[in-house]
Amino acid sequence: MDISAQLRRWGPLAALVILFVGFSIAEPTFASWQNLQTIANRSAIPLILAIGMTFIILQGSIDLSVEGVMAISSLSIAMVVLNNRTGLDLGLLGIGVGVAAGVGFGFLSGFIVTKLRVPSFMVTLGIWSISLGTAMLISGGAPPIIHDQLLRTLGLGYFLGIPNLFIIAAVLVCLSLGIQNYTRFGRYSYVIGGGEDIARLSGLPVDRFKLLAFCFAGALSGLAGALESTRIGLGHVDIGLGQMFAAITAVVIGGTSLSGGRGGVLQSVVGVFILAVLANGMIFVGISPFLQKAVQGGIILVAVLGTTWHLRDRMRIIK
Amino acid sequence: MSIQVTKYLAQAVLAASALTASAPAFAAGPLCDKADIRIVNSMREIAQPFHAALDKGGRMFAEWAGLTDQYVLQLNQGDSDKQVSLMRSLLATKPECVIFNVEPNSDTAFQPMIETANETGAWLVTHWGHPANLKVAENSNWAAHVAVNAHDAGVGISKAIVDAIGGEGGIVALQGRLDTDTAQGRFKGLEQVLAENPKVKLLDNQTANWDRTAAFPIVQAWLTKYGSDIKAIWAANDDMALGAVEALRAAGLAGKIPVVGVDGIPEAIQAVDKGEMIMTVSSDATYQGSIGLALGYCVVTGQIPQPKDWPAEHRDFYLKLIQISKENAAQYLVDPVLASYTNTWECDKVFSRSVGPAAG
Repeated sequence: MDISAQLRRWGPLAALVILFVGFSIAEPTFASWQNLQTIANRSAIPLILAIGMTFIILQGSIDLSVEGVMAISSLSIAMVVLNNRTGLDLGLLGIGVGVAAGVGFGFLSGFIVTKLRVPSFMVTLGIWSISLGTAMLISGGAPPIIHDQLLRTLGLGYFLGIPNLFIIAAVLVCLSLGIQNYTRFGRYSYVIGGGEDIARLSGLPVDRFKLLAFCFAGALSGLAGALESTRIGLGHVDIGLGQMFAAITAVVIGGTSLSGGRGGVLQSVVGVFILAVLANGMIFVGISPFLQKAVQGGIILVAVLGTTWHLRDRMRIIK
Repeated sequence: MSIQVTKYLAQAVLAASALTASAPAFAAGPLCDKADIRIVNSMREIAQPFHAALDKGGRMFAEWAGLTDQYVLQLNQGDSDKQVSLMRSLLATKPECVIFNVEPNSDTAFQPMIETANETGAWLVTHWGHPANLKVAENSNWAAHVAVNAHDAGVGISKAIVDAIGGEGGIVALQGRLDTDTAQGRFKGLEQVLAENPKVKLLDNQTANWDRTAAFPIVQAWLTKYGSDIKAIWAANDDMALGAVEALRAAGLAGKIPVVGVDGIPEAIQAVDKGEMIMTVSSDATYQGSIGLALGYCVVTGQIPQPKDWPAEHRDFYLKLIQISKENAAQYLVDPVLASYTNTWECDKVFSRSVGPAAG
């Protein structure tokens, strides 16, 4: 492999290691067990979102509806488990309700993209508004507060020292790796992203796989919204604030190309950790809050330049 | 001789008209028919409890004044241009009978809204903080500005925290959106109190942009970095304070480390009652959502003179802030009683919650 390919492959991981070591040297408590737990806590939800986003972006699409789907999922779970507004008490099943809401909106996105041939950028933008608006209607200015203690312990608690939410995210990462490498859906997602026309001509069920990707991403957004709700304890319309940009950033920094066809779940995992370590480390080192956004933006710029340098001669449009 | 007579006659007529004109204090008749009056609440969004309370206040007033179907809610989703264009969209007919009670989205929204009001004759009441170079008294249709003293709110909660930790120890601060007057004003209040209490040390301050989901990981990182050095957590608003409480809960510290916030949302008042927060400050959203409408209503029905004839302290005034702590939390836990607001809507009491003139 030539130098640029090596850089693309190992760059993100190297960057993660450098950041981690750098912050640990600057501030030794950064590498403490308690802080590793904090970083794990901070990474859990972005990991779940990044998995779904990876498959979408691998196929050459984009999903902008993450924040809205998280919102509707958050309101859904908060209204059906023990709360202060309705008399329902579904317990753990409530998470299923959140996921179902996510799948529903994901299916809608996928259907419009595949059957009506509207670009995913526009479709998911619309779905974002619809799902967010529905969440606002349900919230109605009196956000439902979750009283179910089992769910709160799930969101805030630890198992053998590892945050519960991180364990769930880790399990999902393993599952998704399996899907990516050992299922037709996973392997052909690369082909669809690499060249959709060729994939169609070869007789691949492109529409089915695209629909599946949107349903999968929707399910994961729904799960993320439901789990985050158990952590902060209420159905919150703003629960997904900033998550969409963070998920896409993580996927791109990790090495998955926005034009599709290359990258993968593991790369996105590295991307998520880079962002989490960066955000956490800046607090430890004491970088002024006024500067933090600029630092983050600078690093993202460098990462995107690095991963798309080889494409600079060809302009590829996101489908 | 005839000139002198006409002179005396003229003076007599002038004297007579002067007498009749000064007889009742508010001689003006109504500017509008009741059916033409439209009352508008213009705000960012409605998802947060604070804004829902603003809207509720507006609707309560509408019902009390018999204008239920003439109440309009305008949401701009954080877009200042949209706030202005929504305002203009209502002014096609009888603009002088439209009253806007506005939560300005940003400083840049002020000028266009004020100009629109002056040009069309519509009535504008704004809240929170306005750019220093704009003067309410110089604008005929910018009826009033209800100023909320962010600095005072910040000072109030900071003093509570310093008292709670016995005047010494380390604290951390969660700031709001750094480019807003509200966030800066509240933080300056904290800085002032810290300057007076040198044994209290501000270990770190970060921004969580008013959002509890953003506050959670920041507080977790602080707990890891500073551990038991943190004696209290200061937050510029309730949403962030509640996020901090959840992070404390994850570490088993909820209720053990004092937390303060601002806004007085129901969830925060419950937290104060439970002991997980020690203070929140309320400007009373229900009141804010209704008072601008009441002011405008009094003007267009002729019950009070037009704003250009008001004294300066009625054009730009500070709103009374309510500090809610364990002692008085219980009374604020229940739904607001209509009577406590109708008092303030009566035209002779409409400035009763002013605590003094603001900048101008």
